[in-house]
Amino acid sequence: MSGAPTNGHAHGAEEVHRPTLEELKERKLYTRQRVHEGQETITVSMGPQHPSMHGVYQAVVDLDGEIIVRTRPGIGNLHRGVEKLAEQMTYHQFIPVTDRLDYVASFAMNHGYCEAVEKLMGVEVPRRARYIRTIAHELTRLANHILWLGVHIMDFGAQTFFLICFRDREYILDLFEMVCGARLTHSYARIGGVSKDLPEGWVGRCRSVVDFLPKRFDEYERLITSNRIFNKRARNIGIFTSEDCNAWRITGPTLRSTGVARDLRKDEPYAAYDEVDFEVAVEYNSDVYDRFLVRMKEMRESCKIIRQCLDNLPDGPYLADDAAHVLPLKKNVLRDSAAMIQDFMHVIHGPHVPKGEVYRAIEVPKGEMGVYIVSDGGPKPQRLRLSTPSFYHGQAVPAMFEGEMLSDSVGIFGSIDVVLGDCDR
Amino acid sequence: MGLKKLIKTATFYEIIQGMSVTGGYFLKDKVTVEYPKEKIAPHPRFRGMHALITDPETGRLNCCACRLCETICPPQCITIESSEGPNNEKSIDVFDIDLARCIFCGFCEEICPCAAIVMTTVYELATYDKNDFFLDKEKLVANQVNARKELNRR
Repeated sequence: MSGAPTNGHAHGAEEVHRPTLEELKERKLYTRQRVHEGQETITVSMGPQHPSMHGVYQAVVDLDGEIIVRTRPGIGNLHRGVEKLAEQMTYHQFIPVTDRLDYVASFAMNHGYCEAVEKLMGVEVPRRARYIRTIAHELTRLANHILWLGVHIMDFGAQTFFLICFRDREYILDLFEMVCGARLTHSYARIGGVSKDLPEGWVGRCRSVVDFLPKRFDEYERLITSNRIFNKRARNIGIFTSEDCNAWRITGPTLRSTGVARDLRKDEPYAAYDEVDFEVAVEYNSDVYDRFLVRMKEMRESCKIIRQCLDNLPDGPYLADDAAHVLPLKKNVLRDSAAMIQDFMHVIHGPHVPKGEVYRAIEVPKGEMGVYIVSDGGPKPQRLRLSTPSFYHGQAVPAMFEGEMLSDSVGIFGSIDVVLGDCDR
Repeated sequence: MGLKKLIKTATFYEIIQGMSVTGGYFLKDKVTVEYPKEKIAPHPRFRGMHALITDPETGRLNCCACRLCETICPPQCITIESSEGPNNEKSIDVFDIDLARCIFCGFCEEICPCAAIVMTTVYELATYDKNDFFLDKEKLVANQVNARKELNRR
């Protein structure tokens, strides 16, 4: 081990060593294999149908032995032209389409879109709706991270753990089914609030789930955190320093694993995040193992946020009372002619939107999701641009893979959490 | 490397710890359900197959042919054709839903001003015949036995 940079991971009660950027760069150089120029290479195509690849991502890798020399990413196999679709739909109609971006965390996508539209229209969201959104967003984060965890550990060869994670994700999907009627494609957020109020008994059920999940997380930690196979395989691979992350526009847990406490929930609070107390999960070693630790911390923080929101859940309307921008409540539509006219106007003409441009970014489970809308005053956006995290994470894959072993590549790819629906749009 | 860690490594401490979690599940109850034999009932708000509601007294459809659902439907899977009777009554000639296109977003149910179209908890829609995805008025009306009427009031 002489000459090797010290491994900064904490062992038990030992003090945590926080490596500096220089140390990390040195460690990155040390862990990546040197590629010999002019060496004969073999080209292997991983994906889009490769069984170990996540989604329909294609990585054509040039191999020198087992070392990856170059990677050419191929995306677009799931391209649906979502941004163009938005130009032919009213602002309300586009909400179900945002579900299909990141189908693992669809409420987060609804939420990001609605936040942007609300900023454009100047709609103020009622306090109860903001709390419900915060709860739903954090439940989504839990569901996303639990699914990610199972799949990621399966990349390293543990099959049973995948099923354990799926069982626990089921409790969260069940809560979503109870509140909005769908398990994956929620379409729960609306412009100015949420589509339905919390049903009877939901709060108690949600509380029991968030009290119970941290016990499961302890179980995960007993299985995984100190497991020697996972440790040997995940530590010191895929090192991507904060400098690299900034260069490749990598956000979310991957950025936070490099010691940068960047979290839009804290930096630019939206929904009810400024009213709850939570910590930003940060780790310092920038490798695959630390991305795992960051997400484990985030899941515990999510449970904490949900518990606080449930305790302080205010009464009041769950949808803004704003006839020009918000769909009316169904119970009013059936009884009140003004609400019925509002209903007809919103469906046939669409909401009343001012001219202008707006950009709003929120922290979705995978990173920062930004929505940019150009409005010409019509009921449909003139141009809608989505900058979703998976696209940027997917494009950084060649830089992450270079000099790594082929057998580690799937683990590294899994650690940055790319969902192709989010990437290709 | 400390002595404590050396002992832990030599005795496969973390493997035993992990195996104790996995082994513990031998003694616990199953969480899975054997699907075709037993089923989990969906929650009342579940967005499944559609239904058209008729008035229990007159037997006429609640639908007033305003075509809001047809307009808002994001994948445009609803087709409505209506005609006007002698007493200025609207009658629905065609009300088709193409379930193969439907994305079950629930907008049709949400914006319907007459509470005529609802989504039921029927979720077993898999079929060998593509024509089964095509719901005409008769099928939709027949499905109203599965509708929960109180849901229309949100």
